[in-house]
Amino acid sequence: MTIRPILGALAIGLLATAATAQQRVAVITPYLAQPGTQFYIDGFEAAASPDWDINVIDTAGDIAAVISRIEDAVTQNVDAIVINVDPAQVSAGLQTAMEAGIPVVGMDAGMSDMLATNVTSNGYAMAAETSVYVANRLAGAGNVVMFVFDPFPPVQIRGAIADAVFANHPDINVIARVTPDVQDGGIADSRAQMEALLAANPEPGSINAVWAAWDQPALGALQAIEDAGRADEGIVIVGMDANPQAREAIAAGGNFEASMAQDFAGIGAAAADAVARLLAGETIAQPVIYVPTVLITTANVDE
Amino acid sequence: MTHLRRYGTLIGFVGILLFFWWELPDTFLTQGNLLNISRQVSMLAVVAFVMTVVMAMGDFDLSVGSMASLAGVVAGVSFAAGYPIWVGVGAALLAGLAGGLFNGFLVSVLRILPFVATLGTLTVFSGLAFLASDGRTISGANIPDAFSQFARLRVEMLGLPMPSLTLLAIAVLVMVWVVLEQTPYGRRLYAIGGNMEAARLAGTRIVKLRLTAFAFTGVGAAIAGLMYASRVASANPTQGDGLMLDAIAAVFLGMTMSDEGEPRVLGTLVGVLILAVLDNGLSQMSVDSYVREILIGGIILMAVASGSLGGLRRR
Repeated sequence: MTIRPILGALAIGLLATAATAQQRVAVITPYLAQPGTQFYIDGFEAAASPDWDINVIDTAGDIAAVISRIEDAVTQNVDAIVINVDPAQVSAGLQTAMEAGIPVVGMDAGMSDMLATNVTSNGYAMAAETSVYVANRLAGAGNVVMFVFDPFPPVQIRGAIADAVFANHPDINVIARVTPDVQDGGIADSRAQMEALLAANPEPGSINAVWAAWDQPALGALQAIEDAGRADEGIVIVGMDANPQAREAIAAGGNFEASMAQDFAGIGAAAADAVARLLAGETIAQPVIYVPTVLITTANVDE
Repeated sequence: MTHLRRYGTLIGFVGILLFFWWELPDTFLTQGNLLNISRQVSMLAVVAFVMTVVMAMGDFDLSVGSMASLAGVVAGVSFAAGYPIWVGVGAALLAGLAGGLFNGFLVSVLRILPFVATLGTLTVFSGLAFLASDGRTISGANIPDAFSQFARLRVEMLGLPMPSLTLLAIAVLVMVWVVLEQTPYGRRLYAIGGNMEAARLAGTRIVKLRLTAFAFTGVGAAIAGLMYASRVASANPTQGDGLMLDAIAAVFLGMTMSDEGEPRVLGTLVGVLILAVLDNGLSQMSVDSYVREILIGGIILMAVASGSLGGLRRR
C-alpha cells in the first residue's frame, strides 16, 4: 500500500489550500429508505463537525447510480466521501475517488483497499459474547445445537468463534451443527430441523442450549421447542442481530434469552470520527474500525 | 406557437445546461464531467433508444427493466459456473432475444394489449432473475475481471478519452436511427403507430413487424443489463428494474420535440440527456435526493404540458 502516504500528502495539500472554506462531505447510499440506514445517517450527522457541509445522497436502490454520484462528488472535489454499499460493486467509482486523492470511508460497507477505512460491528466479538453466554448458563457442561451458515462469510466467522468457545469447554457437546435452508428467511426450515432434533433426543434435558448465528434460526428453534411442549426444560436459546421479533421473544422471558444488538448510530458516529481524522490529515492504519455491540437480555431489552 | 411547441423542450434543455454552467462554472461544462455524464446515462440511453422502436408503433414494453436485470443475472450465473465471458454474454443476449420474441408473440399473435402483456412478462422475467440467482447478488470473484473492466475502459477517439459504455450507447443510437429513419422497415413501424388499420389495409405485415420490433427491444434491454452488470461488477435480480420508467419518460420528453408527436430516436436522445444532466448537476449542487426526484418529475410534466398547450393553441 505505497499509495496511502501519497494520498495522505495529497489530502494535506488540499487541506492547506482550502483551510478556511467549509469542508464538504458526500454521504452516498442506495438504502436510505431502510430503517437501519437512517440510524447510521442520524449518528453520522450528530457526530459530524458543524463546519462540514454534508450532502446525503440516496440512489433508491440503484448501485450504478452510486458510482455515478461518487463520480459527481469527485468532480465537485468534495473533501471526503462516505459510502454504505458493498465496495466491490462500486469499485469503478472508488477508483475515481482514489485517483483524485479523495478519501472514502465505508459505513458498514465491507473491506476494500480502496477505502480509507470501514466502520462496522465485530462479528467475531458478537459471536464470542453469545457463545460464552451459553457456556456460562450451562455452567460449562451440556448438549448444544448450533445453527450456522458458512456460505456467507460474515455469518461463517460467527460460527467459527462459537466452535472455538464450545471446543474450549470439555463438557460441552455440540450434538448438531445445522445449516438451515434460508430461502424463506430461515425460520421455517430451522424449525423443521429443530423438530427433527427434538424427536431424536426425546429425553428431557438431552438438549440444553441452541446457539444460532442469527435470529431467524433461533426463532424457528423456539417455535419447535414450544410446540413440542418442551419449553419448561430450560433449553437456553441465543440468536444474533436483535431484530424486533427476537427482542419480543426475549422480552417474553421464555427460552430465547439473548441476542446481540449492533449500534447503528454508533457506527455512523464512528464514521464521522474517521472522516474528521482523515480531514485533519491523519492516515488511518486500520482497514476496519469496530464499534462495540451490546448483549440484549431481559435486563435491557426494553431500552 | 408551433415553434415553441416543437423546440420548447430543446430550449428547456439548453436552459438547464446554462443554469448548471452558471451555478457550477468550474465543474459542469468540462470535458471530464460531460464524458462522465455520457457514461452515467449510457445504460438508460440504450433502453430508451430501443424503447423508441416499440413506441414508434404506439406500443409499450414495460418488461425492459426486468429483462435488463435478468440478462445481468444470466451472465453472472454463467460466469459463476465457470463459463468464459463470451458464453455468458451470448447467453444474456439470447435471453433478451427470446424474451423480446415472447413479448412480440403475445402482442402480435395473441393480440394482447402491450401494456398487459409486458406487465405480465415484467413479472415473469423478474421471477426468473430471482430464481436463477437464488435472490442473491453475484459479485466478487464470480465476475471475471475482464468483464467488469470493460465498463471502465476508455478509448482514445477524436482526441477524447471516450468511455466504452458511451461508445456502445452511440452504436445502438446509430443502429436504431438507421433502422427507424432510413429503412422501409422503420417507416412501416411508424405507419403502424399512425394507424394500424390503415397500415394493415395497405398490406403491411403487421404481425411480423411487431414481433421483430419487440425482439429488437428485448435484445437492447439485455445489452443495457450487461452494461449495468459490468459497471457494478455484479449481478443482482433487481438492478435494472429502475431503467424502465426513466426510459419511457425519456421517450415522452423526446416526443414533445417531433412534428406529429411521434417518438423519434434523436428526440429520445435529448430526453435521456435531460434526465442525466439533471441528475449530475443537481447532485453536484447538493440538492436533496428527494427534491431532485420531484424536480425531475415536474420538468417532465412541464415539457409534455408545454407541448400539448402549443397543440391546443394551434387548434
